[in-house]
Amino acid sequence: MIKLEGVSKAYPQQDRPALLDAYVDITKGEFVFLVGPSGSGKSTFLRLLNKQEEPDTGRIFVAGKDIGQMSGWKVPMLRRNIGSIFQDFKLLPTKTVAENVAFALEVIGRPRGVIKSQVPAICELVGLGDKMTKYPDQLSGGEQQRVSIARAFVNRPLILLADEPTGNLDPQTSIGIMRLLDRINKTGTTVVMASHDRGIVDTMRKRVIELSHGSIVRDQARGVYE
Amino acid sequence: MAIRIDYLFKETGQNLVRNPSLSLATILTVAVSLSLMGVALLVQRGVDRINTSFKDEVEFVVWLDVDIQNEQIQAVQNFLDSTPFVDSSDYIDREATYEEFQNFFAEEPELLQLVEPDSLPTSFQVKPSDANVELIRELGTEIETIAGVSDVEFATDNIKAISDFSQGSSTVMAVAALFAAGAAALLMYNSIRTAVFARRREIEVMRLVGATKWFIRIPFMLEGLLQGLMGAFLSIFTVFAVNRLTDSFFTDLGSYVFRDFAVPNLQVLSIGFILLLIGAAIGAVGAGVAVTRYLDA
Ligand SMILES: Nc1ncnc2c1ncn2[C@@H]1O[C@H](COP(=O)(O)OP(=O)(O)O)[C@@H](O)[C@H]1O
Ligand SMILES: [Mg+2]
Repeated sequence: MIKLEGVSKAYPQQDRPALLDAYVDITKGEFVFLVGPSGSGKSTFLRLLNKQEEPDTGRIFVAGKDIGQMSGWKVPMLRRNIGSIFQDFKLLPTKTVAENVAFALEVIGRPRGVIKSQVPAICELVGLGDKMTKYPDQLSGGEQQRVSIARAFVNRPLILLADEPTGNLDPQTSIGIMRLLDRINKTGTTVVMASHDRGIVDTMRKRVIELSHGSIVRDQARGVYE
Repeated sequence: MAIRIDYLFKETGQNLVRNPSLSLATILTVAVSLSLMGVALLVQRGVDRINTSFKDEVEFVVWLDVDIQNEQIQAVQNFLDSTPFVDSSDYIDREATYEEFQNFFAEEPELLQLVEPDSLPTSFQVKPSDANVELIRELGTEIETIAGVSDVEFATDNIKAISDFSQGSSTVMAVAALFAAGAAALLMYNSIRTAVFARRREIEVMRLVGATKWFIRIPFMLEGLLQGLMGAFLSIFTVFAVNRLTDSFFTDLGSYVFRDFAVPNLQVLSIGFILLLIGAAIGAVGAGVAVTRYLDA
């Protein structure tokens, strides 16, 4: 599903590369943790996968396609197959829960009927069926992350990228979010999650890829944080 | 992947009311610059109309010496007949001249008594084939060198001066309008950039979930287009009003030369159509450039 072949990326005016000669192969339906200290290149890794960044060298395949060869107008189609969630949720404060989720469908031109049926269903799935008319600032952090998961998943993407989704949440709430991501993974969605939350990585026992200064130093099935 | 109409209206409407003072400033700038452009076009049409209405009056008079010989008259006649720049010419002999003279001074018989028909100069009334003032002037200078010709009198001097002045002021106005249009496009660019900035979170989400660039761009371009069109509508009212005022001003003045300067409403409408097109273009293009630059940054 995802394949990196000798991928390197350095940002301008940075002496150290953010990612260095990475080889990774992730198959469909896998759940993968990217671990490593802050600045080790986890976010860069994720941003390369949906073409928010371009690699300097190497090739990246997503769903069998070399995304380096992909023309610009196809990038939106790529992103429709890749959901993203973040530490800071990126919800729109002027829209309700339902409107935030519906927005993701509206802006890719989905018909109104689809939106009407999909939005309540996905809100129910993430456990917010009774909070659809609430605004983000009326919700707890965990609930807001559930909204952003609903938005990322409502279009049924093949891949879900999660960049420290529990970074702002207390351990109890984080467990709830991880259960939800695990359920989404069980539907066949490939999940790649950056985290430096030792407790979470250790309890999940999934594949762990460890980054250090942009280099992959460990790639372990059913691994632990360290 | 059709863009939904209700979505477009919602987004565009929200954008317009989000920053009403900036929207208003943009609309007014467009209105001012298009008004300038419209008035420049009005003046240009007015000048055209003056020139056309005086095409039939560009005749000039070739005065001959009083003691001119018959052969010399014939020579002048031959020249006028042979040059392609002359459409027709009439010889006004002593009797005809005297008759005209009598009509002209009918109120002053004592003056008439002083004049003998024999002492009056004869003349050719010449109608040029082309209304071009420069050409006529050259032709006149050439005729003046023929023996027996005393003077060539142009009726076009005043008209040329007026049309030069109008043409000049129209050019000045067109240049001013061009600058104003540039200013309008810049303000439009800025207005939409501000709108884009106000919606940067939405745009970030849109890009993340796979909205196309056009989908992101179109509501902003529509907003610019609307602002451009509103400005253009205001400017059309201005141009109409200016045309009305011009008309009544010259009518009250009883001006002969400017009697046709103000253009008919139908022509104002055609100018209005041009202004709408330019307003729409300034709006949509200014907005499109602003969003595209943001998206590509
Ligand atoms: N947009 C950027 N511009 C310049 N340098 C960046 C940018 N994003 C990240 N970096 C640098 O790249 C390296 C890796 O960053 P990042 O991928 O964000 O790591 P992590 O997510 O593991 O904290 C760091 O040294 C960081 O400073
Ligand atoms: Mg990071």
